[in-house]
Amino acid sequence: MDQQLEQLRAEALAALAAAGDEAALEAVRVSYLGRSGSISALSEGMRTLPKADKPRIGKLLNDVRSAVTTAIEARKAALEAERDEQALAGVDLSLPGTPLPVGAMHPITQMLERAIAIFRQMGFVLADGPDIEDEWHCFDALNTPADHPARNEQDTFYLPDGRLLRTQTSTIQVRTMERIAPPVRIIAPGCVYRRDEADATHLAQFTQIEGLYVDEGVTLGDLKGTIEYFFRELLGPDAQVRMRPHFFPFTEPSFEIDIKAAALGKGDRWLELAGCGMVDPAVFQEMNRKRGDNAYDPEKVTGFAFGFGLERLAMILSGVTDIRLFTDNDVRFLAQYK
Amino acid sequence: MKVSLNWLKELVEIPADVAALCELLTKAGVEVEGIETRGCAVEKVVVAQVLESLQHPNADRLSVCKVADGSAEPRQIVCGAKNYKVGDKVPLALPGAVMPGDFKIKVGKLRGVESAGMMCSAKELGLAEDAEGLLILPPESVVGTPLTELFPAETILDVEVTPNRPDLLSHVGMAREIATLLGSPLTLPAAILATAGTGSQAADDIALEAPEACPFYTARRVRGVKVGPSPAWLRGKLEAVGLRSINNIVDVTNYVMLELGQPLHAFDLALLNGGIRVRHAAPGETFLALDGKPYSLAPRHLVIADSRRALAIAGVMGGEESGVTEATRDILLESAYFTPSEIRRTSRELSLSSDASYRYERGIDPAGVLPASARAIALILEVAGGEAEPVARAAGVPPRFEPEIPFRLARCRAVLGADVAAETVDRILTGFGLRKAAQGWQAPSFRQDLTREIDLIEEIARVIGIEAVPAREQTRFTASTAADLRHDQAMRLRRRLSAPGLGFHEARSLTLISEKSLAAFPVEEILRVRNPLNEDQAILRPSLLPGLLQALTRNVRLGTGDLRLFEIGRIFRAGAAEERASLALVWSGAAAPASWRDAKPRPADFFDLKGALAALGLEGMSLEPSTHPALALAVELRRGKETVGIAGQLLPALARGLDATAPVLVAEIGLDAFEPAPAAGRFTELPKFPAVTRDIALIVPASVPHAQIEAVLRSAREPLLAGIELFDVFTDPTGGKIPADQKSVAYALTYRSSERTLTAEEVAQAHQRLKERLKAELPLSFRE
Repeated sequence: MDQQLEQLRAEALAALAAAGDEAALEAVRVSYLGRSGSISALSEGMRTLPKADKPRIGKLLNDVRSAVTTAIEARKAALEAERDEQALAGVDLSLPGTPLPVGAMHPITQMLERAIAIFRQMGFVLADGPDIEDEWHCFDALNTPADHPARNEQDTFYLPDGRLLRTQTSTIQVRTMERIAPPVRIIAPGCVYRRDEADATHLAQFTQIEGLYVDEGVTLGDLKGTIEYFFRELLGPDAQVRMRPHFFPFTEPSFEIDIKAAALGKGDRWLELAGCGMVDPAVFQEMNRKRGDNAYDPEKVTGFAFGFGLERLAMILSGVTDIRLFTDNDVRFLAQYK
Repeated sequence: MKVSLNWLKELVEIPADVAALCELLTKAGVEVEGIETRGCAVEKVVVAQVLESLQHPNADRLSVCKVADGSAEPRQIVCGAKNYKVGDKVPLALPGAVMPGDFKIKVGKLRGVESAGMMCSAKELGLAEDAEGLLILPPESVVGTPLTELFPAETILDVEVTPNRPDLLSHVGMAREIATLLGSPLTLPAAILATAGTGSQAADDIALEAPEACPFYTARRVRGVKVGPSPAWLRGKLEAVGLRSINNIVDVTNYVMLELGQPLHAFDLALLNGGIRVRHAAPGETFLALDGKPYSLAPRHLVIADSRRALAIAGVMGGEESGVTEATRDILLESAYFTPSEIRRTSRELSLSSDASYRYERGIDPAGVLPASARAIALILEVAGGEAEPVARAAGVPPRFEPEIPFRLARCRAVLGADVAAETVDRILTGFGLRKAAQGWQAPSFRQDLTREIDLIEEIARVIGIEAVPAREQTRFTASTAADLRHDQAMRLRRRLSAPGLGFHEARSLTLISEKSLAAFPVEEILRVRNPLNEDQAILRPSLLPGLLQALTRNVRLGTGDLRLFEIGRIFRAGAAEERASLALVWSGAAAPASWRDAKPRPADFFDLKGALAALGLEGMSLEPSTHPALALAVELRRGKETVGIAGQLLPALARGLDATAPVLVAEIGLDAFEPAPAAGRFTELPKFPAVTRDIALIVPASVPHAQIEAVLRSAREPLLAGIELFDVFTDPTGGKIPADQKSVAYALTYRSSERTLTAEEVAQAHQRLKERLKAELPLSFRE
């Protein structure tokens, strides 16, 4: 019996080693461990053994069975590994990946979104207003003289009914102040229109973002802090801001904002990027007249406003040399902003 | 405005460093946009005459010259140039001269021969960008004259003057600004100071017929002038700032304008008929201006006229027929104040501007009219001789602009957020010519821009500079607005559409489009622009699709036939909701990107578009078959009963017209139709028990839509039915497998209970119920 078992073990292990695939392996398993397999048959023979031999032979039987079982598992794993390896052998890993269609948001949208995120961080909320405006919202309310050149038919698009396409997003400041009393802390992006023939640096339509903060105790120092913070966040901590006094009808004092930053890629040059100023008391007075109250009492509240064009900023930041690319919708251009 | 630094130096002490001066001005809001240098700035360079030129004994290319430099002894100079001859006058840099590039001239030996200086080219003196050989000077040049005299060094600043600061449109005005910014004194020449308080006598031969347009007009006659070329100093000053010298009289008027800011005009007295009339033009009156062009005038245009005809377009330009010429003996010098808005309108309507109109339309100093006249008369007598009337004749009175402006130091500090000292305020405002008054300050007449407290605060801010204002970083909590939510919604859609998978590119098209681009999308409520730039930009887009289809054509022509574009923007229609935010898609070309896996992917079709819209998320919207004049396949998007958008495939003929190479799929949906993103997703309990799927295949008439079959299944309200999925649609036009007018559709129906694992029996019963329902409602047979 002992000898028989040892022989069986040797035979089974040899058969396993010879099994070339999983089917052969299964056949080997059945022929030894199956219900009518050789090892099972020997187990049957246990009954006829003398009592004294039973424990020893029983143990040996178990050893053989477990050795064969383990060998089958090992052989199976080896065969699987071999098959897996063959299945993936020789794949050219340098083949390109299967492409998914990938789109992109427009560079102006991306620029705008960066700006909005920074202003929101500073506690500004959004406001909007119509593209079609009346002269009062676009000019009168903003302290622009009746014969100001911007009101010309040469410079501004008019509708037959005398309304116009807004030339600046400052109209949204006006609309907001009409609706709500201070405090007001808004930014207002939108399209503006100027009657300019298109060339590499001009479009009859471009995108502006405007900001307004009116409250008690707002100072020029707040404006300076806001502008400096914004450009540092946008362009990096090296961004330097120069506020150069200027003239706008609706702010006083007024400033043009020049920026110097490595991100702008213009070396040591100051670039004029924005305008700003303290809201002119005349704007508040006209607002009170329109509202019929004194919510914007210039003795009580002060405010600042700022605005800049997004196309110009996007052009400088991404090296675009022709503004018309922004509205040509050439996919070869748009796809560069993934 | 061009400003000469040499001229300024006569009026105020300015820093030697030009860059520092420019920085000072720019920081105070007087932006220097350009700096131009001219002339010779090198000292110890004199006019020399070549007396003798001999070959250098030791160098083929050099000559040894003897030159006269105005001193007693001729100098020996070794020279490499060849372009001169003996007798020529050339610049000679003497030992000690420092040439551009910090190159010092000294006595030295060149190839063994002593050279006591260097003869120079124009380039070496910084007079020209490049020049070969010596600069040969005119023969009349006087030997020994420093080159700095012959070519005076000059720096011209190009200054941007903002429209509120007409007082800076003169050298005196600019000098005053610099003096205040620097805290240094203004040093006006006695000749200018002497004109202060110039008087006049009432004129009976000047008729102010439009006093609101011209409240003050003065004229002064000078008889017996000798018109001729201006002296060098006068010509030099004008030419330095880019004005052409005409003759001594005209040059004086221009000079005084540049000096004091008051435009002046000289008429030839002999060509005038009777007195001066300042009147509006007669209807249809034409006028030949000095620029040689005729202008037809309207009654709202102001002219200076005599009894017979117009002599000048007031404040804008004089006339061809009354100007000063070589033949002029007697002149009449005009100095006046015109109302700025009048001049601005005339100039704009006639498209005619001049140095005079530029100043008048911004506002000149009314108190400067007579002094400027006096200054010009003195100069005319100096350069052209003649005899002037003792005083100017004047009509009207100069308007007074000297308001008393309240000023509170506390207010100033509150607006600026900076501690400004009272003495600083006094110094700045006094420097700008303001006088302290009882309640505040009185502004001078040349500063009409100063009328309110805030104007004075601005002046202080300009001078102390933004650097003196500490930046404050302080926020305020502000509640989100409806605009915030709309923006976030639009951004959510943009992110989805551009994300990998959907892969659309965002376009931004112009709001103004051509009417003909709308041919395929007829809209009745078009809004037009009254003054379009051209026909291509004449109407406000009532839809985003024309712009996107134009982009499609452009891209196809540029070689990109596979295109997925979207735009979110405003559309415009006459009526109640005039401006609306809209989302549009255009898709043409491959349904998936081509690659080595699939070199020729199928072109996208209507169902790909539907899939894209579904991926975008159309919660609350339904798609209903519809018709549209531009679409071959069209569905309407509805929200309840309201139509909120369209989607479909463009008529093939239209697509071909756009040069499209594949079906063109389009959609446009009002942005308001999209439900706001929920603050948090909504959770439904996950199924605890397994689902069972049974397939069902039907043969129905081809005209029965899938939607109807699905509706019948849903109408059964079978409680165990958890899902319906269409997985096959089959037709056989040959009628071989199924009749040609029939189609086979197959669904996978999923059954599930939320309470227990379903038995086969339960599933079979539910499935049978649905089959019976279908059988009862539709003309169909089952394929088993």
